[in-house]
Amino acid sequence: MTPLHHIGNFIRALVVPIPLWCVRALFLGTLIAVFIWVLRLPRENTTPENATHWYQNLKIWACLALAIQIVIYSIF
Amino acid sequence: MQSLSFLDFAVIAAYLVGTLGLGLYIGSKIKTGADYFLAGRKLPWWAIGMSLVATDIGAVDIVGTGGAAHQHGLAVANFEWIGCVPAMIIAAFVFIPFFWRSGVTTIPEYMERRFNVAVRSALAICWIIFMACNLGIMLLASAKMMHVHLGMSVNACIYLTAFLVGIYTISGGLAAVVYTDMIQCVIMIGGCLLVLVLGIIDLGGIEEFQAAIKKQEQVQREKEFAQNQDSEQAGKQVSHTSLILPADADTPFPWTGIFFGLALILSPAYWIGNQAIVQRSLGARSEFDAKAAYVWGALLKNLIPVVVAVPGLIAFVKFPELTDGDQAFPELISHLLPVGLKGLFLAAFLAALMSSIDSYLNSASTIVTHDFYKRFYRRDASDESLLKIGRSVTFLLVLWAIGFSFFLMTRSEGIYTIFQTLMAFFQGPAFAILLTGLLWKRATGVAAFIGFIVGVCFSIMLFTLNQEAVYTALEIAPLFQISEPFLYFSIWAFVVSFSLIVIISLLTKPEPAEKTEGLVFSLKPRKETA
Repeated sequence: MTPLHHIGNFIRALVVPIPLWCVRALFLGTLIAVFIWVLRLPRENTTPENATHWYQNLKIWACLALAIQIVIYSIF
Repeated sequence: MQSLSFLDFAVIAAYLVGTLGLGLYIGSKIKTGADYFLAGRKLPWWAIGMSLVATDIGAVDIVGTGGAAHQHGLAVANFEWIGCVPAMIIAAFVFIPFFWRSGVTTIPEYMERRFNVAVRSALAICWIIFMACNLGIMLLASAKMMHVHLGMSVNACIYLTAFLVGIYTISGGLAAVVYTDMIQCVIMIGGCLLVLVLGIIDLGGIEEFQAAIKKQEQVQREKEFAQNQDSEQAGKQVSHTSLILPADADTPFPWTGIFFGLALILSPAYWIGNQAIVQRSLGARSEFDAKAAYVWGALLKNLIPVVVAVPGLIAFVKFPELTDGDQAFPELISHLLPVGLKGLFLAAFLAALMSSIDSYLNSASTIVTHDFYKRFYRRDASDESLLKIGRSVTFLLVLWAIGFSFFLMTRSEGIYTIFQTLMAFFQGPAFAILLTGLLWKRATGVAAFIGFIVGVCFSIMLFTLNQEAVYTALEIAPLFQISEPFLYFSIWAFVVSFSLIVIISLLTKPEPAEKTEGLVFSLKPRKETA
């Protein structure tokens, strides 16, 4: 056994008992965190200079992409 | 094997002629190196976004993801979902506009501005090796598929693909690559969707499909139990429809690797630091287009596993006896597609193959031309001479790709595993220097260089120690307890690189403030530039 084996075994012993519902919460939490971050972005970072329509705001489409992910990871 | 009809050949020929014609037309308008490498910075977001997806989903992924879904289940879809979407969204609003404003042509070029020439060269060498190897892998993937369906020899298929892609990439550069990728993206998604729909209809509908998966899993579990009588191991068999798999499951995709290795390291490293990917957004006509391209790509990414991984599950139900997962897609096509539609799927497969090869050819040529030729040989090279060099290098890379694919034919490892392992060797360390360089002013050039080199060596050492011949000879246990631990290589290589960069940076003299000015991301509003 090398020191790398000991480190690996220690970490493995830590992560293996974590229940899968906790892991799912971790995956969903990450996606939700990015979703909230996108929602809080300033409008000037997400729209072109002379934007005239709502659909020119990239925030909407980024949130849609993340929302689909949240649904997928909630189901599967 | 069901032979191809005249209609099939007509569909394939129409696609090939259309792609070649478009590539050559764009090529006729290329006059300078800037046109060739960055499409004159005139690309629109919708074309770049589709090109991003087409480049990322190559023939390797269609065959490899379908195969992995057949063998290990839906968990392989993580590579397209959590392994892409969040990183693409963050890249869109933070990193990509930053690179676009900096006006660089390559990521290694940014590394020299931020750190030093040693970091630039080390990163450029790694990317060249990675891209050059991938070109061979991609050509081989096509050979496997075409050999089954076109009845052509493997060698002939490699020559044909290299010739077709080489012609329009040499001629049209990035613009030809992006616009042909756009067409290829539509054909690829359409072709795979066709296999998906026909497969589900063949199984009797979605509910019947789900029931068939459960039934097949039960059969496998019973077989496993009968073989080793190990109830604990049989009990650990994972569901083919689960995205999140236990850390100790017998799969290459345990949640620990997916979350820490893929979502947190490999994915951002790929979408922020992969020259073949980022180069498209550097050619965007505006900063907004560069951002919008990534968001559009992220939306499209949601669809990809549905059309490439789910057919692997269909193959799991229809052909459970398959031992080589890479045969899942070819078998589906042989059995599901009627005469006429087979040609459409093969065109889709060719599209996927060509969209990745052209991108890697163009980006590898950009790195050789800018990071080696212009940087070390002719610093005063004119834009016109760079165009000539770029085209010559692309031609040489085509020849190399042909030779390397012949070499790979003697290997038997799964295509997808080879691809991911190569990437895992240096993506972790590359991400460490990119992240520290972009976000931490205190990171120094010496620290970045040492951190990168040690990180790459460390991941190679992990790979070596995990080879059966090595750990048996050393009389030690394997380091990792899963069969294909490539995701873990990237985690550990990143941790080692990142730690070293932080420690050495704090021990070495800081870079002068004027050197890092404008090269480190800041939340403070930026000064307007002329």
